[in-house]
Amino acid sequence: MAGPAASVHEEALLKPLVGFRPKLFLGSLLTGGLVGLLFYAWGFQIVNDIGVAGITRPVFWGFYIVNFVFWIGISHAGTLISAILRVTQAEWRRPVTRCAEAITTFALMIGGLFPLIHLGRPWIFWYMVPIPTDRGIWPNFRSPLMWDIMAITTYLIGSVMYLLLPMIPDFAIIRDRMMRESPKSLKTLFFRVAALGWRGTPQQWFSLEAGIKTMAVVIIPVAVSVHTIVSWDFAMAIQPMWHSTIFGPYFVVGAIYSGVAVLMLAMYLLRRGLHIEQYLNDKVFNNLGLMFLAFAMLWSYFTFAEHLTVWYGNEHSERIVFDARIDGRFSGFFWTMIVVNTVIPFLVLPWRKGRSPLGTAIVGFGVLIGMWIERYLIVVGTLSFPRLTYTEGFYSPTWVEVGILIGSVGLFGFLYFTFIQLAPIVSLWEVREGEHIKNRPAPHGASPALNPAEKEA
Amino acid sequence: MANEYLHAAFRTSAEARVALNRLGQDGVAPEHVEVRSSVPLEHDVHPVGAKLRSKIPWTSLAGAALGGTAFFMMVKLTSEAYPLPTGGQPIVALPPAGVITFEGVAIGAVLMTVATVLIECGLPAFRKKPGPLDHHIALDHVLVSVKQDEGASTAWTAQAIETARG
Repeated sequence: MAGPAASVHEEALLKPLVGFRPKLFLGSLLTGGLVGLLFYAWGFQIVNDIGVAGITRPVFWGFYIVNFVFWIGISHAGTLISAILRVTQAEWRRPVTRCAEAITTFALMIGGLFPLIHLGRPWIFWYMVPIPTDRGIWPNFRSPLMWDIMAITTYLIGSVMYLLLPMIPDFAIIRDRMMRESPKSLKTLFFRVAALGWRGTPQQWFSLEAGIKTMAVVIIPVAVSVHTIVSWDFAMAIQPMWHSTIFGPYFVVGAIYSGVAVLMLAMYLLRRGLHIEQYLNDKVFNNLGLMFLAFAMLWSYFTFAEHLTVWYGNEHSERIVFDARIDGRFSGFFWTMIVVNTVIPFLVLPWRKGRSPLGTAIVGFGVLIGMWIERYLIVVGTLSFPRLTYTEGFYSPTWVEVGILIGSVGLFGFLYFTFIQLAPIVSLWEVREGEHIKNRPAPHGASPALNPAEKEA
Repeated sequence: MANEYLHAAFRTSAEARVALNRLGQDGVAPEHVEVRSSVPLEHDVHPVGAKLRSKIPWTSLAGAALGGTAFFMMVKLTSEAYPLPTGGQPIVALPPAGVITFEGVAIGAVLMTVATVLIECGLPAFRKKPGPLDHHIALDHVLVSVKQDEGASTAWTAQAIETARG
């Protein structure tokens, strides 16, 4: 018989790990096809050179940089939110942390791909790495692009560690279980290796918890620094509607907003696909929905403040970019963004019924589109109207860029499907710990109110 | 005989605590008792007299200092070794160096924290063979193991095994 917290619901989490799941296989196959599109399009660009992309004077940053900023923003879904919830000891975080942290790791990996794609010749990327060479060329540490590399690498390493450390005890749970059921299978071998020989002694738990807490504290400022530095790629340049002091916090808020959006969508799909309603329950969606609403308000406030100051200042070159957004070439994009990022969330999320799994997933899907548009407006909207007006130009993406964008979504799905089949998407030990805390007898000599499982024993 | 353990699985932490108290009363040294669980119960269920220690806050700080220093030196030495035209501005610009140093502080802290966790937990430990009752841990039971030659009381043994049987 299982202990007080190892409930039958865990079976739903363990099924994808131990057996063949046709739905997951189909999902992996479909998203794998999109990954094929990504590498075909990228390969086509490498063979035929960067000219096959639509970027041209003066818009030298097109879809690739838009996607880079978008995916790095998505990465703020997991580690940052998980760390904040851990530090504040929010009990309802327990089923959410793992699926959120996985989003961060995969989104960062994909985001990091785009500067390589944008280079055109990805093999010269190592020029950015500070190693002594006879070329006499060293990275320019004054460049925000160099800060980007440092920040994203730090965040990626931190996020991978923050994802993997709490997974060790879960791998050990599965190992101990599979050692009895199928000791010779390949999967058992995988879990034996992944568990690293974890035994679950008090000292191990003590050290692990101290490590997780410390990393949670460290990772929060790193996450904030990452998107701040990404914003400085723009804000450090004296370009219209880029050179803004609030770009740092504006980007951080936008990143968390898009991160929560993808988290809501992913959680809804996981809940439906894996039947884990017991873990990703209405309370979790409601609480995250409230956080979602708070970020909708913050993002809307920043967007309003950013545009109001440009309109009021009426500086000529900035006003050109502003007018193109409000009623010019980019107005369709701009107003779509306002509808999906501000109007719809404000109409749906304040209500308890709106913060249902389906409601938050629909809003999340819309916000994802809106946040991608926001990045498009920032990158392409400004570069289309530089200060020297005779260089004005029109950017139109080619099939290569669209293919790579769709492929990157496929790559994210593929990595996520693979992850679900290798690790429990809800942290087993954290949920069990929550149950133990809930069932703990009252302190100060009060009668030890045994939980139902203990009474049975 | 010296390395053989007596194992007992307890369905609840309360039962394990009772058994551990009894072991403590019998004078079994904490280093001869091992408690294992699938959840962190270290503050609640542990051998009597056992002390839990972690150097993590200090090693993390040391890692942060080391990482920050290393990254700052990288910026400083690189800039000085290959000076770029700065229009009369300092060769080593402190604000950008500060950004890089901050990332160094973070990466140093993260790596040192992970290293400390692994060392303190004794991981990886692939050579340890699984015990006969390890699958109980997967079922959220608490496993208590005692070195046999330490003479755990008969009463405790009986109680432990009886409880494990449920």
